[in-house]
Amino acid sequence: MTPQKPAIKKLYALSNEGKKFAFNLPLKNVIRVNGRDYSVELREDEKYGVHVLWKNRRYPVEIVRTKQNRYEILFNDISHTFNVETPVSMQRKRVLGSDRKKSSALIVKAPMPGKIIDVLVREGAEVMRGEALVILEAMKMQNEIQSVVSGTITRIGVKAGQNVMKDDVLAEINIK
Amino acid sequence: MKKLKRILIANRGEIAVRIMRTACKMGIETVAVRTAVEPDAMYLTFADIIHEEDDELAEIPVFLDVEKLIAIALKTKCDSVHPGYGFLAENAWFAEKCRDNKIIFIGPSPDAIYKMGNKPVARQIALKHKIPMAMGTPGSVANEDEAVRHAARIGYPVIIKAASGGGGRGMRIVRQESEMEKMFTLASREAEKAFNDPSVFIEKYIENPKHIEFQVLGDTHGNIIHLGERECSIQRKHQKLLEEAPSPALDDELRATMGETAVRIAQAVGYYSAGTVEFLLDSDRNFYFMEMNTRIQVEHPVTEMITGIDLIEQQIRIAYGEELTLKQADIRLTGWAIECRINAEDVQAGFAPAPGRIEKISFPEEPGVRVDTGVRPGSSIVASYDSMIAKLIVTGKDRHDAVINMKKALDKVWIKGTKTTLPFFRMLMRNHTFQEGTFTTAFIEKNLDRYHCSSEYEETISAWIATKLFTEENLSSNSSSISFDQGRDLTPWLLRKRLTQF
Repeated sequence: MTPQKPAIKKLYALSNEGKKFAFNLPLKNVIRVNGRDYSVELREDEKYGVHVLWKNRRYPVEIVRTKQNRYEILFNDISHTFNVETPVSMQRKRVLGSDRKKSSALIVKAPMPGKIIDVLVREGAEVMRGEALVILEAMKMQNEIQSVVSGTITRIGVKAGQNVMKDDVLAEINIK
Repeated sequence: MKKLKRILIANRGEIAVRIMRTACKMGIETVAVRTAVEPDAMYLTFADIIHEEDDELAEIPVFLDVEKLIAIALKTKCDSVHPGYGFLAENAWFAEKCRDNKIIFIGPSPDAIYKMGNKPVARQIALKHKIPMAMGTPGSVANEDEAVRHAARIGYPVIIKAASGGGGRGMRIVRQESEMEKMFTLASREAEKAFNDPSVFIEKYIENPKHIEFQVLGDTHGNIIHLGERECSIQRKHQKLLEEAPSPALDDELRATMGETAVRIAQAVGYYSAGTVEFLLDSDRNFYFMEMNTRIQVEHPVTEMITGIDLIEQQIRIAYGEELTLKQADIRLTGWAIECRINAEDVQAGFAPAPGRIEKISFPEEPGVRVDTGVRPGSSIVASYDSMIAKLIVTGKDRHDAVINMKKALDKVWIKGTKTTLPFFRMLMRNHTFQEGTFTTAFIEKNLDRYHCSSEYEETISAWIATKLFTEENLSSNSSSISFDQGRDLTPWLLRKRLTQF
């Protein structure tokens, strides 16, 4: 027999922007904003698909990507990403977070699927913030993928003429 | 003069649907081409005859293949071809091949397409006819050194444009001499890739202008009129996002002057069919001829909505030699129309293309709302074509009214399966500068710090949904406590299935 786990009374949804939303368990169909309660309902039907009913209006909902406790929610066509944490996992995260050193390398990924038209930098090259790294063509548009930091190119992950998927590594930069 | 009997639609998507609707209304048969990329596309359901094209291994899309399209037209016994926009719509060679094969090209003459399509040639014609223009190079610029010399004479900032360009591709703004080499290379390379012609030319760059274009209509008997202007300043990276007609920047006097100039340009090349003359308007209300588009445009519906004229019908009538029955004095602009281009793009990721499969799609069905679309539930937005899902066109008695109606209509659009530009337009309708109508082409990139807005309510609801999914996923079956299988990877597919069990 495994020992009974203590019942969890609260969950936190932490947004990518660092906002914290707390919900009591068992979860009710209610949200609280500015001290007022509003009822919400999550539904799915043939006509509308998954949607939320709020203030007598339907809003489209899509779960774009999830892994473990991470959820990307597309609500009314705008995406929000949350990590859902228990009080215990929150505590653990805080401890781990203070331990970890700040990363000094940046991985530049393809923002969209497409074709690499040109690679404008070489390994070992110094780049400035805003400098173009590669030209990626997608949907008939050529896009300059620029560096968001200044630093040294440690790796180039693509060649001209190559097709890439979203999130494929284009380059790695050691931040100055 | 013989009426057309059967038109080959050398295009796909919403414009193919748009053309076939009018053809059907006029009692003309249509032939559409089924391609391997989109075998179940919506436009096919509007055609009288479907030509099956086995193009899975083709090197270029059939809609860009002149020889193949001519062969299809002949085989399916079409007496005419409508090119739509994009693809071969502004390809003089295609128009000429049609003529050689006694197929009517629904559009202007090959000569007019060539003259207006080659920007340095168009500039020379405009110069000869004393059309106001920004200072520029007389012809194409051969290399960086020459570019630097010309730019010094014209004065920075300058803009490099593709000689065979259009649609905003192959353009680069250069603010100082040190940027010229890199920008010249980029522009020239993009031009070669997009238009098969690396030649570029240079013009004085007009800072913060409005993009105003005039719709013209000419027949083969020498009559040319204009149908007023469209305001297209809401653009990002030279790609139009929203258009309206008329423009809040014009009064009757300026409209008459610019309209008359647009007609003169069209006359200079003996233009017939529908065409668009693009101008830049600076803050002192000086206008400069930019280019002429020798095709029907994406944004043509806003003109149709305020003039009551079906532009595709006019194109078809003109193509078989009918004389324009409309006179300039008959053209009345009534009310206001706004068009939002709803594209499969991720506004939160800098408008990155977001191809996908449309699961649900519905639009408000009410007076004053028009939707031009080529997709339905089950359709895919494929990476090989543009990202257009639909054009939402809304009218009102004046601009204020049209903005309010658009705001309401946007809230009623329901699209599931891909990210769209809807959040951008919802935000835009609430933006003060947009409501005032004082925006310029720099507005989106310089005056907006974000491309969407979401309220605290929306964020809280999203957090609640995430928490709800988490509890559903982790709630153990026999108690109210939560078990944590941290290693378990959940797929959206699994979640969707579970959601149905609520």
